[in-house]
Amino acid sequence: MSATRLTQGGRINRDKEIQFSWDGTRLNGYEGDSLASALMANNEVVLGRSFKYHRPRGIMSAGVEESGAMITIGEGNRRDPNVKATMQELYAGLVASGQNAWPSVRHDVGAVNSLFGRFLAAGFYYKTFMGIPPMEWGKGTGPWMKYESIIRKAAGMGTASREPDPDVYDHAHGYCDVLVVGAGPAGLSAALTAVNNGLDVVLVEQDHQLGGDWLNQPTELVEQQRLDMIDRLEKAGARIMIRTTAFGLYDGGTAGLLERVTDHLLRADKHLPRQRFWTVRAKQTIVATGAMERQVAFGNNDRPGIMNVSAGRAYLNRFAVLAGQNIVVTTNNDSAYATATELAKAGASVSLHDSRALISESLMSEAGNSGVTLRTKSAPLNARGSSGVYGLELAVAGNAGWKANGSEPCDSILVSGGWSPVVHLMSHRGIRPVWNAEQACFVAPEFVSDSIHMAGSASAIWNNDDCLVSGEAAAVKAINALGGSVHSASAPVAGGWGNPIDPLYEVKVPNRILKSFVDPQHDVTTSDIRLAHLEGFVSVEHLKRYTTLGMATDGGKVGNIIGLAMMADIQGKEIPEVGTTTFRPPYTPVSIGALKGRNVDGHFRALRRTPMHDWNLAHGATMTMAGLWDRPWFFAREGEGITEAYIRETETVRRTAGLCDVTSLGKIAIQGPDATEFLNSVYSNAFAKLPIGKARYGIMLRDDGMVMDDGTTWRFSDTDYFMTTTTAHAGKVMVWLEELLQLRWQHLRVHVTSVSEQWAGCAVAGPKSRDILQSCVEDPAVMLDEALPFMGVMETTLKGGIPVRIARISFSGEMAFEAYVPSDYANALMDLLWPATEAVDGCLYGLEALGALRIEKGHVTGAELDGRVTIDDAGLVKMAATNKPYIGSVLRNRPDMMREDRPRLVGIKPKDTEATFNAGAILCAEDKVSGLGEGWITAVTHSPALGHWIGLGFISSGHEAWAGKTVIAADPVRNGNIEVEIVSPHMFDPTGERMRG
Amino acid sequence: MGNRNSALAGHYQVGKSGILLNGEKAGVHLQDVHGLKLYQVAAWANSINAVGAKVANTVGCERAPGPCKAASVGEVAALRIEPLKWWLYGVEAPEVDAEQGAILDISHSRTQIRVSGPEATSLLNRHLPLDLRGQSFPVGSVASTMIHHVGVTLWRSDNGYELFIPRGFALSLWEGIVDSATQFGVEIA
Repeated sequence: MSATRLTQGGRINRDKEIQFSWDGTRLNGYEGDSLASALMANNEVVLGRSFKYHRPRGIMSAGVEESGAMITIGEGNRRDPNVKATMQELYAGLVASGQNAWPSVRHDVGAVNSLFGRFLAAGFYYKTFMGIPPMEWGKGTGPWMKYESIIRKAAGMGTASREPDPDVYDHAHGYCDVLVVGAGPAGLSAALTAVNNGLDVVLVEQDHQLGGDWLNQPTELVEQQRLDMIDRLEKAGARIMIRTTAFGLYDGGTAGLLERVTDHLLRADKHLPRQRFWTVRAKQTIVATGAMERQVAFGNNDRPGIMNVSAGRAYLNRFAVLAGQNIVVTTNNDSAYATATELAKAGASVSLHDSRALISESLMSEAGNSGVTLRTKSAPLNARGSSGVYGLELAVAGNAGWKANGSEPCDSILVSGGWSPVVHLMSHRGIRPVWNAEQACFVAPEFVSDSIHMAGSASAIWNNDDCLVSGEAAAVKAINALGGSVHSASAPVAGGWGNPIDPLYEVKVPNRILKSFVDPQHDVTTSDIRLAHLEGFVSVEHLKRYTTLGMATDGGKVGNIIGLAMMADIQGKEIPEVGTTTFRPPYTPVSIGALKGRNVDGHFRALRRTPMHDWNLAHGATMTMAGLWDRPWFFAREGEGITEAYIRETETVRRTAGLCDVTSLGKIAIQGPDATEFLNSVYSNAFAKLPIGKARYGIMLRDDGMVMDDGTTWRFSDTDYFMTTTTAHAGKVMVWLEELLQLRWQHLRVHVTSVSEQWAGCAVAGPKSRDILQSCVEDPAVMLDEALPFMGVMETTLKGGIPVRIARISFSGEMAFEAYVPSDYANALMDLLWPATEAVDGCLYGLEALGALRIEKGHVTGAELDGRVTIDDAGLVKMAATNKPYIGSVLRNRPDMMREDRPRLVGIKPKDTEATFNAGAILCAEDKVSGLGEGWITAVTHSPALGHWIGLGFISSGHEAWAGKTVIAADPVRNGNIEVEIVSPHMFDPTGERMRG
Repeated sequence: MGNRNSALAGHYQVGKSGILLNGEKAGVHLQDVHGLKLYQVAAWANSINAVGAKVANTVGCERAPGPCKAASVGEVAALRIEPLKWWLYGVEAPEVDAEQGAILDISHSRTQIRVSGPEATSLLNRHLPLDLRGQSFPVGSVASTMIHHVGVTLWRSDNGYELFIPRGFALSLWEGIVDSATQFGVEIA
C-alpha cells in the first residue's frame, strides 16, 4: 500500500503540525488526525500482530470496530494497552507502540506460529493439554495447569502497566428528560427536535466532533447543515458531551457513560480527571448509534491494506489520506459507489467489483462517469501480499457458486459486505433484534420500548435525509411519551438503496484452501467455524465460546454476522433460525480506574474517625481498623513494640488506671412512653424494673434464639433510655430495632435514634479511676459510692461546664467508668482526664490491651458472639428470663439448642506456661486430633495478671467436662499442636470484687 | 462551657484552589458551618398535627413542612426528615410531653457543610445520585441520600446546599469533596 496525504481537503488543520512517536520513530501528523490516519499518512502499514498466529495487521476500519491497529499508548505507569488507533485522537507528544510482538510488529519472531496455523485450530490448546492423548497421563487438567502460563504469554494482546495508576478518575451522576446517543444526522435531528419542544436534552458523542457519518462525507455537501444544527442545539440549551461513550443501558433509563476528559492531552491540568464515569438517568433514550460496515470472508482478508469501504471514505474525506494509488473496491450493496467515485476524483485508479448481477443504469453511470472501472458478478477471492497487498484474486458468480476469475494488481483493497445497525444498547435491555432479510441485517423490532427509540442507520436507514426524518420521529415519540402531543411525519422504513443488497458473507471456490478470517481480532477463521460445526457445536452461543468468535473488546462487532451466516449455511437454515448473539455491556472497554473513581487508597472506604482521633494520634496512638472505624490499637512508648506496649497498658490498668477511647460503641437513644416495654421485649433479661439512674447489662437474641448482641442500657427517665451496643453490631442492632417497631410492634410509642455520632466516649478503668473523675467533675461528691454505685449512671458537668454522662460499668473487671460528652467536647474531655490520669501514674490504652483485659475476665465480644452461639453456650443462662416472652424466647428452647454437649464458652491455658497458641486453633481430645475436633479458640492474649498466655474459646460440654484432661490446640497450618488445659472463662478475679470496689 | 471542636479542625484550609475562572473565580464555595444547633422532634402517629404545630410555632412559619421539605424563617428552619420526625435547625427545641412525642439533641452528631456557587450542583452530583435540577429539587427541598455509601442529609436552603454528614465520617467525605471540587475551582471560607 502506498497511502498519501492529500494537499488539500479534509478536517485536519495543516497549520498545526503534531509530532508523535510510533515504536520509537518520530512522526508528524496534523491537528484533527486520529492516530490511525496519521500513521496511514506516514505510510506505516503494519501496526499490530494477531492474537494467535502473529500475522501482520494494519488498519481495517476507522472506528470502534477496529481489529487490526490495536496498539499501546503511553509508557511507564501510564501505559494503556489494546487502544484502537482509529479511536485515538492525535496529540503532541503521543507515544504509541506495537504490541503482542517481539522485537517489533514489523519483524515478529512469534510469526512462526502462522506456519503451524493448520494445527492451531479452535480448541487446540485445550484438546492438546486437557485429556487427549498423548499429552494426557491420567492427570486431568494437570498438563494444562503446567503449560498455561507459557501458552497465555504467546497468545494475547498488549500488557497493562504493573505500576499504580497515577491518574485520577471521576464519578458523576446526570439527569435529563431525553438522552440522545450518537450525534450523526439522526442524533442531531432528534436532539434538536426534543430541545425545541422544551425538553432537557443530553447529547452524547464518542467522537470529539459532532456529525457522525457526515464527518466522512465530502464537506461541501453537508458541512453547512451540520454546523447550523450544532449552532441551533447549543443556542437551545442542549447539553452536549463529546469524547463520551454510552457503553451500557440499564434498568429505569439508566445509562453508563465514559467521558474521556484528558486522554487527548499529553499534560492535562492536575485538577482534571483522566476519565469520568457517568451514571445518567434519562426519562427517554434515543439510540442513534449508526451502523457498522461488515467485512466479507475471503482468502487473506486480514492483510494490511484491506479495510472497510467506509473507512477508505473516512480517511479520504475527513483526514485527507488516500488509501492507495490502485484501489480495488468490492461490494455487495450500493453504499460503496460514492466512495469509489470520490477516490477516483481524488486521483486514485479505482476498480469496483460488485457481486450483484443486476444494478441500475444510474448507478453504473455514476461509476463510469467518474472513471471507475466497474465489474459485476465479481467478488474478492484471495488477497496477495503479506505485510501489505499487491493484488487481489477475484471470483465470478457462476451457476453453482463462485469460480476463480483471474486477478488484479492493487495496493489497497476496500471491502463492503453490507451494514449492521448498532443495536447494542437496545440489546443491553434484553430486547432481541429481528432479522431483516431485505437489508441483510439485524434491526430493532417494530416496538422497542416505551422509553427507548431507535433512529437513523441504527434502524437500517441508509441515507442522510431519511436519517434526519427518522431522528425527528424518534424525538416525537419521546416527547409524546413525556406527555406532549406533537405530530410528525411517520418514521421512514428500513432501507434507502436503489438496488437490493446481495447477501454475501464468504467467497470460496472448490478445492482451494483459504485462510479467511471471520473475527480477525481473535484469529477465528472460516475453517474454525466449520470445525466447530463438525464437532457438534450447533448453538451459536456454544460456537462463540468454543472458537472465541466475537469475544473480548470486539464484543461481536466484526464477525458475528458472518459466523451466523456460515452456521445457517452449513445447517441449511435461515440466519434468524440459527440465532443471534446478545450484546452485553460495555459497548467499548471501560478502564478499571474509571469504575473505581476516587475511591482509592485512603478513600477506598470512607474512614470513620472518633472525635478524639487527632488527640489519640498526638498522644502516641498506633491505629487499627475496626470495621470502618480507625481506633487506637496501642500507645507505644520509647523502645516498645505492640507486645511490650499492650502488656504495660494492661498491667497499668490493673495497678492504677487507664483511659481508652470507646466512642466506636454503638449508641442508640430509645424514647417514648412504651420504651420500657420495648426493651423488656427485646432483651432476654428483665428490663421492666430498671430504676432511673441505673444501667443494666443486656443480651438480645435473634428470632431463632441465637445471641445477636450484648451491651448496657442506661435509664435517664421514665421514657428515656440510652443503649450501647458492640462496635461491630451497632448498625445491625439499629436496623433490627427499627424493623421491630415499624413491622411488628407498630402499637408501641417508641422512637429509636442512632446517637453514636453525638457522643464521644472514654473508658476510665482501674483502681484509681474514681480519683481521676473526681478531679475532673465540677462536684467531686457525685462520684462517691452513694451517688454512683456499681451500675449507676448520671448526668453531671465536667470542669468548665461541659455536660457529661457517666456510668459506672466495667469491661475490664476493674472499678471503671464510661464518660460520654457531646462529640465536639471530646478533646476537652481528654485534656481534663489525661493530666489526672498521669498524676496517678496511669496510661492510655488501646484495643489490644482492652482485649487482654476482657479475655482475662471471660467477657464475650463479637469474636465469641458469632451467630452460632446460644445464651447458654456463652455461659450467660442467668440472663435468660423465664417469666416473660422476648425475641428468641421460644426458639432458644429447641432440643438441639439445649443439648448438654454443645460447645460452651471456656478459658484456655497452655500446659507449658511458656507456650503460645493462636485464635482459630481447633480444640481436640488428646487421643483424637482429627476432623472438626471438640471446639475452637476465639481469642488469645498474654495475660500479665496470670503471667502466661491465655485464651477464650468453645468446647463441647464446657470446662467441667474437661477438668484435669489434656486437650490439644491443633493448628496444622501455623505452629502445630499445643497441649492446653480447659478452665473457667473467668480467669481473673472470678467473683468480681475488684470492679465493685 | 468549652469551645466546640469541629470534626474538620486541623484539616480545614481556608482559601482558593483548583481551576479558577480567570485565575480568581471559584465555581464552588465550601464552608464548615460551626456551632450546629440541631434537635430531632419526633411525634407519634396520633400526635403528628399537634407536634407539627409546635414545630411551626418554634420556627415561626405557618405550618410544619411536609415530607422531604423544609420551612425556614431567617436562620431558623424545620426539616421533615422522616414521616414522624422533624429536625429543628438553629433554634432550641420546644417542650414536648412524652405522650405527644420526643425531643433529642443531636447538635454534635452531624457536621454541616455548606456548598454553594455556580457549580455546586455539579459538584454534589459528582458524589450523590439525586436529581438536583431546579424543578426536581428546588430551594426548600430535603433528602436523605448518600456519599461514598455514607448516609447524609441534604437540604437546599437560601444559602445553597446544606450537607449534614455524620460527624465521624465528616473528614473523610470532606477530603473527597474538596478533592473533586478543585476541577471547578474551589473557595473554602
